[in-house]
Amino acid sequence: MFHRTWRRVAIATAGLLTLTLVGACSDDAPEAKNLDGNRAGAMADYGIDKQFKASEPLSFSILYNNHPNYPLKDDWLFWSELTKRTNVKLAPVAVPLSDYEQKRSLLIGAGDAPLIMPKTYHPSENAFVSSGAILPVSDYLDLMPNLKDKIAKWNLQPEFDTLRQSDGKFYLLPGLHEKPWAEYSIAVRTDILQQLNLQIPKTWDELYTVLKAMKARYPDSYPYSDRWSKPNPGGELLSIVGAAHGLRTGWSWNPATWDPAAKKFVYTGATEQYKQVIVYLNKLVAEKLLDPESFTQTDEQARQKLANGKSFVIGSNAQSLVNDYRPDLAKTLPNAKLTKIPMLVGPAGEINPASRLENGIMISKKARDSKNFVAMMQFIDWLYYSDAGQEFAKWGVEGTTFTKDAGKYTLNPDVDMIGLNPKGSKHLQKDFGFGNGVFSYGGKLDLVQSFFSPEEMEFQKVMNARTPLPVDPPAPLTDEEREQASLWETPLKDHVVQNTLKFILGQRPLTEWDAYVGELKAKNADQYIGLVNKAHERFEKDNG
Amino acid sequence: MVTVAPGTAGPKTTPPVRARRSRGIRPTRGYRVFQAVNGVVLTLVVIVTLYPFVNIVARSLSDEAPIIAGKVNLVPQGFNLTAYRLVMSDPMFWTNYRNTVVYTVVATAISIVLTTCYAYVLSKHQLRGRGVLVGIAVFTMFFSGGLIPNYVLITSLGMKNSIWAVVLPNAINVFNLLVMKAFFESLPVELEEAAAVDGLSTYGTLLRIVLPLSKAIIATMLLFYAVSFWNSWFTAFLYLDQQDLLPVTVYLRNLIAGATGAQSAGGVAESDAVQAAATIQAVTIVLTTLPILAVYPFIQRFFVSGVMLGAVKG
Repeated sequence: MFHRTWRRVAIATAGLLTLTLVGACSDDAPEAKNLDGNRAGAMADYGIDKQFKASEPLSFSILYNNHPNYPLKDDWLFWSELTKRTNVKLAPVAVPLSDYEQKRSLLIGAGDAPLIMPKTYHPSENAFVSSGAILPVSDYLDLMPNLKDKIAKWNLQPEFDTLRQSDGKFYLLPGLHEKPWAEYSIAVRTDILQQLNLQIPKTWDELYTVLKAMKARYPDSYPYSDRWSKPNPGGELLSIVGAAHGLRTGWSWNPATWDPAAKKFVYTGATEQYKQVIVYLNKLVAEKLLDPESFTQTDEQARQKLANGKSFVIGSNAQSLVNDYRPDLAKTLPNAKLTKIPMLVGPAGEINPASRLENGIMISKKARDSKNFVAMMQFIDWLYYSDAGQEFAKWGVEGTTFTKDAGKYTLNPDVDMIGLNPKGSKHLQKDFGFGNGVFSYGGKLDLVQSFFSPEEMEFQKVMNARTPLPVDPPAPLTDEEREQASLWETPLKDHVVQNTLKFILGQRPLTEWDAYVGELKAKNADQYIGLVNKAHERFEKDNG
Repeated sequence: MVTVAPGTAGPKTTPPVRARRSRGIRPTRGYRVFQAVNGVVLTLVVIVTLYPFVNIVARSLSDEAPIIAGKVNLVPQGFNLTAYRLVMSDPMFWTNYRNTVVYTVVATAISIVLTTCYAYVLSKHQLRGRGVLVGIAVFTMFFSGGLIPNYVLITSLGMKNSIWAVVLPNAINVFNLLVMKAFFESLPVELEEAAAVDGLSTYGTLLRIVLPLSKAIIATMLLFYAVSFWNSWFTAFLYLDQQDLLPVTVYLRNLIAGATGAQSAGGVAESDAVQAAATIQAVTIVLTTLPILAVYPFIQRFFVSGVMLGAVKG
């Protein structure tokens, strides 16, 4: 009796196991392209520049990055108008901006993720690929005509290739820019330049001369004191100086740099260009032109120095110029004039280092099983990638929030946004929900620049005339390789960051550069680069 | 012979005897040096801990310009209250503030009841299986299921997006539990025996004898729990998806992140431009800390030692 029961249990277990295995295997194969069961609510004739409207009312959950400056409101015109136009209601899961990534990981890990997850910065999607929780969106681009059109029209294929994983697919729908949008540069006190009879510097070498003249006139000052030293010291400074040398360093740190001459990757922290970056910054620090605290101080301290006239040059983007420095200076030194100057040119020539890809959207794998899957992809395509959808998300409803005349956008007089209509009683973001970072980014050049001040337009004009920094060829690692790579990468990066600082601040003599490169080798820099090069060759072979 | 001395139940005992009451015994030299060093060190500690707080208060009352110029230290410069008006005019701030108050009160009440019951039981040496019960509690100090299993548990219990997700999961803090257990164990057994002789049941003993004698520890626990619930944001952040359910700590955290978030993201859309001013952060911090600060003086009077002095004679 006992034996028989026992045997039955064993057989049942074995059977179950087999079923699971079969189920697991059958998961991959026929999944491919059969979307017959997923077309409910979709438009049969959806296409480029066509208004998407679901054939039945639909609702999709979306992870919502709640910004404290325009907290989520249910009565935003954005929601009601979106439903009116597309027949889709979005159900936001509101997550505070402060800890968005953490909550996203948790929700995905717990299998509780919303279908649409925007505000994902590449490469953070890598962490979720192996778990199979997110959708390989590259398989479904056919459902997204506007996206495909923009990739072709703006020649974005090389950029998209950098998103690919080792299986050749990509899992993120990035925001797209027609032109690279360079944001960060430096701001210079032009009244001081005038006083010293100097021109606005165009290259890093000219900046050196300018700083020297400033120091000669104001010996007590550190002419250049920079901010943005988080998360790694000198993040922004190293990023823009590195860019002028053709490297991605500082907070845009990329450990592997493509060497077009040798047709292989080399370790960024050991390159000759990186040495030049360090030598240059070391010179500024040694001659007391660059505040050594630039690498460690808080943003606020850097702002205070600028506001008190203790420094004249600072890292800047369009917003910090208008929102931070100018109001600061207006209160402390009313006669000061500060301008953001075009990115300084270095040995890499006149380049624009900005990427044309932005943060983007991950889609939960669960969405694939929904009967509304096709409709959802069409909806995303319309809202995020069609000209009409992008205009709607950014500017709102014509007549209500803005008017458009010959391609030029104007806010309605009672609507305010970044101080364009200071007397407006309503705010485009706070009261209407448009211009929201969750839904609105990238797009055509004139749309991207539609909020820019004439001054910023001038800056962008100079930058757009420059050659975009070429995209590195793809070298996607497999899961195992990635694990191994990060074991090597983390201590390597720490070592680079520490020694970069030591070299620049003069705590380690530059004559020890070769010793430093040797230390990197001892920390497996060669093995790491070998792995990347192997992945690159494999990708070339597999994808032609 | 065991008696319960009258007048020991309340906190209002005679003030602690002063060390240097008379000129009779002169403190030794070593003791005076110790006193002096002690005084200096403690004063420094007070300055170090007090300075940031006073600075924040001064900033919250100051004009923007002196803050930017780095001129605000301990005294507000260019006194104004606009920032207070601005923060207080945001309805979401008050909604979240109310949530914090409700969560703190409910959670503290639940925690105190559960912790007291558990600790009292554990303090009884004659209880069988006591070691196992202690073990169960202590086990959770060292091992936990981890974030995702906890999340799945709370979600499948249907507590997500409700107050219970915040007030129940951390109801018993094992450290507090052990402190309380130790306190109950230090109560003289004779007191309870006397109560039993006089005819009190187990619950009667707990409620009429033990608890009134434990005001000091209960006040301590109240403070520990209230402060930790008031300051906590993580559980609420995990289990609540609607901003009108969030406590004010998450609101504050998000506000500060919004002001400093530009760097971490690297490239930020221009729509994220407007940055919260330094004053507003200071104001929010002050408004959030004030109530819990105000609780201290009221609870402090329960921190009296020697409540039980002379309770047991014999």
